[in-house]
Amino acid sequence: MSTVALITARGLFGRRRALILLPLPLLLIGLAAICRAYDLPGDQWGEAVIVGLGFAVVLPVVSLIVGTGVLGSEVDDGTLVHILTKPLPRRDIILAKYAVAAGASAVTSAVPLFVAGVLADSAKFGAALAVAAVVGAFAYSALFVLLSLVTRRPVLLGLVYILVWEGLLGRFLSGTRVLSIEQYVITIANKINPSTILDSEVGLGTAVIMSAVFVVGCTLAAINRLGSFSLAGETS
Amino acid sequence: MSETGVIHDIGYQRYEGPRLGRGAAVLALYVHGLRASFGFGRSAKAKIFPWMVAGIMLLVAVILAAVRSQTGQTIFTYVQFDDQMAWLIIFFVAILGPELMSRDIGSNTLPLYFSRPLRAADYVAAKFAAMVTAVWLLLGVPQLIMFLGAAFTTDDGAKGVWNEFLDLAPGWGYSLLWALLFSSIGLLVASLTGKRAFAAGGIVAIFLLTTPIVVVLSVLPSSAANHMAGLASPMSLIAGVGQWLSNEPESMSGLDLGRFGPIYGIEAVCLIAACLLLLLARYRKVAAL
Repeated sequence: MSTVALITARGLFGRRRALILLPLPLLLIGLAAICRAYDLPGDQWGEAVIVGLGFAVVLPVVSLIVGTGVLGSEVDDGTLVHILTKPLPRRDIILAKYAVAAGASAVTSAVPLFVAGVLADSAKFGAALAVAAVVGAFAYSALFVLLSLVTRRPVLLGLVYILVWEGLLGRFLSGTRVLSIEQYVITIANKINPSTILDSEVGLGTAVIMSAVFVVGCTLAAINRLGSFSLAGETS
Repeated sequence: MSETGVIHDIGYQRYEGPRLGRGAAVLALYVHGLRASFGFGRSAKAKIFPWMVAGIMLLVAVILAAVRSQTGQTIFTYVQFDDQMAWLIIFFVAILGPELMSRDIGSNTLPLYFSRPLRAADYVAAKFAAMVTAVWLLLGVPQLIMFLGAAFTTDDGAKGVWNEFLDLAPGWGYSLLWALLFSSIGLLVASLTGKRAFAAGGIVAIFLLTTPIVVVLSVLPSSAANHMAGLASPMSLIAGVGQWLSNEPESMSGLDLGRFGPIYGIEAVCLIAACLLLLLARYRKVAAL
């Protein structure tokens, strides 16, 4: 199991491709630093930077690229066969890859959010944002790992979820917020350290339970899906 | 029997018909690109995403036209329609860019293209034209539906239709601006990688991460920074150009241009030109980066 995790991590970070994970967090920290340097009050820019950029773009997009990359790239170039033919339970393969994906996304999004939170308000606020980002990274990664097994175009489907479901519908239809990971993340951060910057729309119980449902449900579905995975070649 | 310059004549029949040159190759590539944009000539799976976006846009246009003809109130003008659909346009560009560019890199068809009398500039021009047309159609057709809805319910006869058309024409021009700018950025990002997944993620990230910069710049304590805040993001840049050209001091986008309107126009032109030049530079060499 650790070998699978090692190979996955090397496939993720061993190539130049990993560099595209850098600009997003750096921009988040840079914007927060500029605002701090001009001594602007945190509630004036906090929502745009922390919610608009951090929770709505950095966290989901990083999780999407990493989460669909750990399995999707191996499905694409056919090297998944080499792992599937080893005498390993499929459960271990999924769990190892999921752990790498969630860990990588959590670090990449929680660290810049912590820094931005410190610059906006206080260390406690930063810690709240970081904890929420870690929860979000686990939920998003579970969803996107599952997507990369269900469809051949996981990134586009993931973008539909991020852009259309959370971005467009979440703004107009309040009902869709119950199924939006972004809202859970905001709620959790707001409950740990209440702040005017964050505006939570769902209850804490809903947020925690639904995050757990996303993590467990999507992982179980992914294990089940990999159990009967066929590598039939199709091009569309 | 054997001609000079032929080492072995193994008896294959020669092609003696007309040979179509560069122009035909560019046209073929353009038509193929436009068809591929909407998934024509492909499996049903390839049609899902483009037609989902197009379906939502058409639905919104039909609803807007119906509301306007029933109640007489205009929810969005033609120009506001483009602004409101920005997220869907980003998504559409994230579908199209990789489809047109990354696919050729990923499946190694580029050496085949460039072994024809086709030059790098022709390839870029054909792809760019195809994508601009596709994005413009995505915006222009719903606007036409809104126009038809308004034209058939007008009370002033031909004059009312003509006035409505005068509203539609700038809307079409505005859509063309969206198409030009978003296509050039989307194609440039997509041409850097052969993996469609990474290209789509990169395009969306570029467009979305620039929006908060606008907000930050607009709260900085400097009026020049506030007026020029819109320059930081393609969406607000286009809104700013539209505002400057239509001479409206304020609009729904909440941008305050001050006297910096011309800078928005200059940046839009320069950005499109720069993206196209970078694309040309990128295709001097065929291999993926």
